[in-house]
Amino acid sequence: MENGNSSSRVLLDLYDREQTPLKRYVTALGVDPETARDIVQEGFLKLHEHLLAGGGQGNLRAWLYRVVHNSARNRQMSFGVRHTGSIDDLSPAANPVARDESPEERVLAEERETRMRQAMDKLSEAQRACVVLRTQGLKYREIAQTLDLSVSTVGENVQRGLERLRELL
Amino acid sequence: MKCERLNWDLLVRAVDQELLPAEMEWVPAHIAGCAECRHEFDAIQGISQDVSAFVNHVPVVERLEDRAELAKLKSNRQAPDRVMRRFGWGMAIAATLAVGILVAPKQRGASADKPVVEQAAAATSSAIEVDGETFVALPYSNPDLPSVAPRIVQMQVPVSSLADIGLGLEQMASEVANQDRTVLADVLLGADGQPLGVHVLSWE
Repeated sequence: MENGNSSSRVLLDLYDREQTPLKRYVTALGVDPETARDIVQEGFLKLHEHLLAGGGQGNLRAWLYRVVHNSARNRQMSFGVRHTGSIDDLSPAANPVARDESPEERVLAEERETRMRQAMDKLSEAQRACVVLRTQGLKYREIAQTLDLSVSTVGENVQRGLERLRELL
Repeated sequence: MKCERLNWDLLVRAVDQELLPAEMEWVPAHIAGCAECRHEFDAIQGISQDVSAFVNHVPVVERLEDRAELAKLKSNRQAPDRVMRRFGWGMAIAATLAVGILVAPKQRGASADKPVVEQAAAATSSAIEVDGETFVALPYSNPDLPSVAPRIVQMQVPVSSLADIGLGLEQMASEVANQDRTVLADVLLGADGQPLGVHVLSWE
């Protein structure tokens, strides 16, 4: 029972810390927010199962990112969804965010977001995943584990992704 | 970049604090003293902040009951099985597509020119035993994947996918030309939903 309590604590601690970044990651890959919520919840249930089965507790964050990344990829393939199609749904107008700023600042911010969204759409899938995972605080080693790439390939994807964004923005 | 001491790779890793110990000894000092590298470093940092701002504005769906559902599992060890069944069919469909779509393009080029015997030997050299059932490991299976609590799903798998991983060519003989066919197979899924192995149940 002690083991079960310990697993639950690990699970809930991770949930409190990572569920929002995980949802942001999945959504930034082009999955709609509601489906992203399902995928992340499913990922935590798998983690619960993993912990109860006595699975290793080393780097569970990378484990979770890997699980939700694969689920997101499978869903997109199942439904033939392309990233570029659904990431357009993340327009500022469609997702108003309460901001303490003037109307002019708001317009400029929305334009900046639109440019960024369009630029992100032009990255390859691997580049986008690496660039976004990096913003979630994952180290290159963790990104490599998540995407099943070598650390040097992660570095190349981050570099090329940022170079491309710089060209486009 | 005009400065030849640093390239983009080093600058990006400097921004990400991913420099190796040997690089830490000179890269930050060089950036501090070189106007051009400092300019590039600031530019990369700026783009990184813009990307972070963009990702942080991505909308998320938060539901209080999600955490409550997880918290409830603490007192009910059977709950995961019940909940996982809810996703069973979705996982099965995803796995079918993964086998059909993911495997085929990755393996097509590699197996096209190999003799049949060689392919079959290669395919059967790596087997996974689960509950007394033997699965042929898919070539891209990563032993580092989280494979605790695997599941077995019975499904129709495209013959073309099996042929591409070197399975069943002898059994199928010339009929393998009909790549539109499917066969009944058990597919071993890892905890992350990726198919790890295949056991063909019937070549009918």
